[in-house]
Amino acid sequence: MKTCIGVMVAITGLLPAVAAAQEPPVAAVAATAREGRPLIEARGNVEQIELPPGGPPPRMVDGHVNLSGVWFAGRTGRANAWSILPRERVQSDPVPFQPWARARIDAMSQVERQLASPSVSCAPVGTPGMFTMNHGYPSQIVMQSGLFVHLAEADNSWRVVHTDGRPHKPAEELAPLFNGDQTAHWEGDTLLIDSISFDERTWVNGSGWFHSDELHVIERLRRPSMNYLEYQYSVEDPKVLTKPWTSGWDIYTLGSEDLIENFCTNNENIEQLRKLSEIQAGDAQ
Amino acid sequence: MKSLFGLVVGVLLAGAVPATAHHSFSTEFDSAKCSDTIGVLTTVDYQNPHAYVFLDVTNARGATEEVTFQLSSTTNLQRGGADRPTLMRNVGETVTVRGCAARNGEPNRFAASYIILSDGVVQRVGQDVEGFFTVGR
Repeated sequence: MKTCIGVMVAITGLLPAVAAAQEPPVAAVAATAREGRPLIEARGNVEQIELPPGGPPPRMVDGHVNLSGVWFAGRTGRANAWSILPRERVQSDPVPFQPWARARIDAMSQVERQLASPSVSCAPVGTPGMFTMNHGYPSQIVMQSGLFVHLAEADNSWRVVHTDGRPHKPAEELAPLFNGDQTAHWEGDTLLIDSISFDERTWVNGSGWFHSDELHVIERLRRPSMNYLEYQYSVEDPKVLTKPWTSGWDIYTLGSEDLIENFCTNNENIEQLRKLSEIQAGDAQ
Repeated sequence: MKSLFGLVVGVLLAGAVPATAHHSFSTEFDSAKCSDTIGVLTTVDYQNPHAYVFLDVTNARGATEEVTFQLSSTTNLQRGGADRPTLMRNVGETVTVRGCAARNGEPNRFAASYIILSDGVVQRVGQDVEGFFTVGR
């Protein structure tokens, strides 16, 4: 099974001669079914072993589905950052941006988009960003009757939402918040989280989708079986969109690991991107 | 493992996208300018959003240069077996790091995809922009 990395060198032609001349380190390679390209078997690669449904979902004493657990995006119940397969795409309709909003997003270069992203700058990603951004990191949900607690590993963010269907705060008491003013209620076995009054610095997702102060987000969470959680979000924003939009259902699976502390304390990417932006600005002149 | 590739590749590739992360790799680093660096691991900076390792490398003139490698986040590293003690055990040892160069022209700055540790283990430490680990890339 094991072959040397020199085999990979010969096939890919990517490694310089100095490396090939070394006593070859041990690496296992395997041909892909698609391109005949070698794959390196490395510690840390995540195989795609799909979790079974695992039986019916648990329920709380009040009869509602208990969404509690540590949830990883995808179907393996594990972190997917180093999966041997790319992440499965969620099928959704195109976002109905107003023309000026679409133009504003399209006008940004890749570097400008990165510099403006809350994810890149380690700013709060808010709602629905706690699910839609930093997708490679798990979330823990802790539930009790009347309460939904969401702990996102990325940047150690959290939110607590009452699930008793209470109304939003009166308009005169609202202030812009990264997660917005949130309330939740059950529709059958689906939990709906309704959020308004957002801080305009967040994005809806990582595509550059900015929003106005009239953003209204409705998230839906359901647990069809023990091991699976499904997430969907709807967006209304009459200043930015031509009509409301709803995502497809994203799939999460139950993990057996705890969250790991993840504070963003040493962000060098902004400085690096600014240097790149200066170079590109110079090239454009 | 090989049979797994064949089983799942056709099922999922049509609707697949790269995993999202803290930032875009391709914006900041050039996946067409990747190379191996062999040197002595001097420092491990185990922080978020990215950890860094530093190598002392002997250049063509015989002088020592410091090379910086950006790794993934500490949580990805821990889950993938590259916890801090594992990396620290290699300080002072000769390792090989696969990395892609920064686009901003800063010399000796790379993003790493894997490290061949002093015991020969190939350890993932970052994104797979060259398709070494991902089926169908």
